[in-house]
Amino acid sequence: MGEICYVEKQRTVTINPNKTCQPIGAMWATLGVRRGIPFVQGSQGCCTYVRYTFNRHFREPVSIAVASFHEHAAVYGGMRNLVEGVFNLVARYDPDLVAVITTCSSETIGDDIEGFIRSARRKIAKELSEEKSKLPIVPVHCPSYKGSHVTGYDNASKAFVSTLAEKDEEKVPHKINIIPGFGVNPGDILEIKRMLDAFGLKEYEDYSVLFDISETLYQPLREPIGDLPYYPDGGTPVEEFVDAANAKATFALCRHAGGSGAQFLERRYGVQTFYGLPIGIKNTDEFLINIARVTGYEIPDKLLDERGKLIDAIADTVHYTMDTKVGIFGDPDFVIAISRFCCEMGMKPVVVNTQTPSKTYKQEMEAIAKEYDIDIEVQLSDLWDFEKSVKGKGIDLLIGHPRGGVKIAEDLGIGLVRIGFPIYDRVGHFRWPIVGYMGSLRLFDEIVNTILDTRIPWDQKQQ
Amino acid sequence: MPFILLDCDKCIPERMKHTYVYDPDEEIIPLCNVNTVPGDMTERGCAFAGSRGVVGGPVKDIIHMVHGPIGCAFYTWGTRRHLSDNDLHRRYCFSTDMQESDIVYGGERKLEKACLEAAEEFPQAKGIFIYTTCPTALIGDNIESVAKRVEEKIKKPVFAVNCPGFAGVSQSKGHHVFNVTFYRWLRKARERFPEKCMKEEEKTPYDVAIIGEYNMDWDLAVLNPLLEKIGCRVITVFTGNASLDDLFKLPDVKLNIVSCQRSAEYIAEMIKDGFDIPFVRVTMFGLSETTESLYEIARALDIPKERVDEIVKEEMEAIKPQLDYYREKLEGKTCMVYVGAPRTWHWIRAMKDLGIDYVVACTTFGHDEDYEKLNRNLKRAGLKGVLVIDAPNELELEEAIHRFKPDFMLTGLKERYLFRKYGVPTINSHSYEQGPYAAYRGFVNFARDIYKAACHPIWDVLRAGEGKFNSFRGG
Repeated sequence: MGEICYVEKQRTVTINPNKTCQPIGAMWATLGVRRGIPFVQGSQGCCTYVRYTFNRHFREPVSIAVASFHEHAAVYGGMRNLVEGVFNLVARYDPDLVAVITTCSSETIGDDIEGFIRSARRKIAKELSEEKSKLPIVPVHCPSYKGSHVTGYDNASKAFVSTLAEKDEEKVPHKINIIPGFGVNPGDILEIKRMLDAFGLKEYEDYSVLFDISETLYQPLREPIGDLPYYPDGGTPVEEFVDAANAKATFALCRHAGGSGAQFLERRYGVQTFYGLPIGIKNTDEFLINIARVTGYEIPDKLLDERGKLIDAIADTVHYTMDTKVGIFGDPDFVIAISRFCCEMGMKPVVVNTQTPSKTYKQEMEAIAKEYDIDIEVQLSDLWDFEKSVKGKGIDLLIGHPRGGVKIAEDLGIGLVRIGFPIYDRVGHFRWPIVGYMGSLRLFDEIVNTILDTRIPWDQKQQ
Repeated sequence: MPFILLDCDKCIPERMKHTYVYDPDEEIIPLCNVNTVPGDMTERGCAFAGSRGVVGGPVKDIIHMVHGPIGCAFYTWGTRRHLSDNDLHRRYCFSTDMQESDIVYGGERKLEKACLEAAEEFPQAKGIFIYTTCPTALIGDNIESVAKRVEEKIKKPVFAVNCPGFAGVSQSKGHHVFNVTFYRWLRKARERFPEKCMKEEEKTPYDVAIIGEYNMDWDLAVLNPLLEKIGCRVITVFTGNASLDDLFKLPDVKLNIVSCQRSAEYIAEMIKDGFDIPFVRVTMFGLSETTESLYEIARALDIPKERVDEIVKEEMEAIKPQLDYYREKLEGKTCMVYVGAPRTWHWIRAMKDLGIDYVVACTTFGHDEDYEKLNRNLKRAGLKGVLVIDAPNELELEEAIHRFKPDFMLTGLKERYLFRKYGVPTINSHSYEQGPYAAYRGFVNFARDIYKAACHPIWDVLRAGEGKFNSFRGG
């Protein structure tokens, strides 16, 4: 016991991928910038498909511009498309920031993105204004044939801070940066902010969330808007990226999606890096202790009360959760954090699956297996391997996104607890947190209720 | 001057030729099916989407192998609601998941191996469709030769279509390429698989195929019974809920009924030229259009008019009470319609059946013929002053909403959330809300879904605003 069985995909064909390609990750990040617009250097589908996917998940408008590659660009390169495209975007939308996100086509053609951006600036300076030509334009290279959507976010995190961050020698490093990561929803970011606020920390003064989608992709519907074009409220102001170099520490909640940005700040400016997605007891404990250590603020008792509420809830349901077999799939940081949380609940992650290449996934899962003395099949593969494996393991519950899980759960007559991206067949997941003690408690409720619905006979529920 | 330049287009004046106000006395055709203005926040998709997503995707019992990096397969995995009765369809997603070294050294061997493995994993599949994507087209992978090799090995039909995202100016190119490639392939494949074709003794004078019908939310569940009632025998559909084996019978029918005249009329034309099978164009939405179309089909097949009279009467009576209810709620409302192309003109008279007038009409990828039909139907509906925009971008749509203030909007997923922020209810007109929407019985659903959106009480709460808080609100 306490061993992992590490399985990598042996087939050539990919059947039901547990990943998509890079650009969507960079677009997700850019949508968290105040008046920031992603500009996709590729064909129209690279933009349109991603917009559909965001629309389905967030049920919010998403504005993303595209270079509209046609045959001409495929033959002669995408220079004209980028220069004209960025110019048109700036002229009509007057954004605070543009991120030029490449795709497999522009990377295969070998577009000189940095050079094209300089040409675009010249055109803007000549035809619009000198001032507008200085707007921040961040090139994010996203060759879709490497890594995954998670890598795209990670590349964006590095591109943004390496392009924008500036050291101000006058400033004493004091505040902290938070990089949420791909799949960390508006509800999660709001919960992180609530916890930091409980410490007494002030946004922008003591901490800033970089790529903050908590408002931009979670907008109220109030009196109909009159202004054109539509820009959502919120998002990280560009100055916060500039100031990121002057922080004391960066918390990259997802090592795989944001870690590169944090590492860049550490190497270049000495900003200390912390990793860890605060889902479950231990992960949230560590997050709060690290926050307290770095900022010098005390952990408020209110948060420890919430911890107690989570423990109380787990203690009340041990007979439903203990030894329940669960299959978990998604992006590596989520799979690792949720596996640990399931173990804390007394459950057994029997098979876990991710398809984003990772240097730490195997070791992290090994540590969990050892600590809780359970055997885990750890897959770096597609969801066809996952489906075949869970079907032979007497699984009680699946945790993951609906695209991968609904049909398997249906076949097995078990429940699927929805986490990850995209979730399009339920409302509300993007606004419900799963981080922190209270977010974990909400996830816990959903896990146990799903077990009650699918695994526990009616007369045993009435205690 | 019927062409107009919207305020938001001042710095891209070339958009003026795409934008006009319909005037029955001065009919014009806008500039259309041309390059998108880069960075204009277009709503268009790519040729791959037209090929894999729209035309190929509905074929239900095959492996749809997407040859490229993973994204193009991922985004077409179970998203478009072209439904079917087959478990393999929409549940599984197949891709070569091209990596950097494959891009450098070529992906043909990888593609061949992927196809063979997929065929082995899913022996119930009736064949394989292979689609290229931008990078595999750029590196020049010869997918046709791979298809040939795989077909020889698995002894099942394998079809390859070269439809990278950058081809053409929109999805429309993907439709066209798929039609042409499939037709040419089918002619030869019928010789290799003669057993899949119809035998003479199986044929009847009333055999039809429906072309350009993709079974969105089970439109076929109302269309097939309706056509059968008037005496047709539906042999196959290109491509909604279609089995690959049935598609082999396309040239064996007596008449092709063309529903989507943008994405599939090409193949009907080619079948007419190659096999001398006539086709009729139909609009199976709304009462007046559906009725006219049924008479057209009956005429083409020599079915007695009385037969159609009877069925139309029966159908109309069946839906009358419900439809009257919705019509009463909707009469006098105005709408903005923005869909792919044909539905924009298909629905003009359907909306008129409900007492609703168009105020703005847009298409993503309309060609000249679509705008001719649009003008024709606006005239038949007695409308004028309707703003028409070809391939509108997001800002143009926003401006149109502000200028024309429609009561609701028939549009897709990308636009719906934006326009709700402007207080305009929307109905998903690509995949529907709760379809089917086709023909008579579907039209009741369509009317109901418009009613649900446009007559919902929440809009009154929104419009009432927050004025009542004025004396009490903080900063």
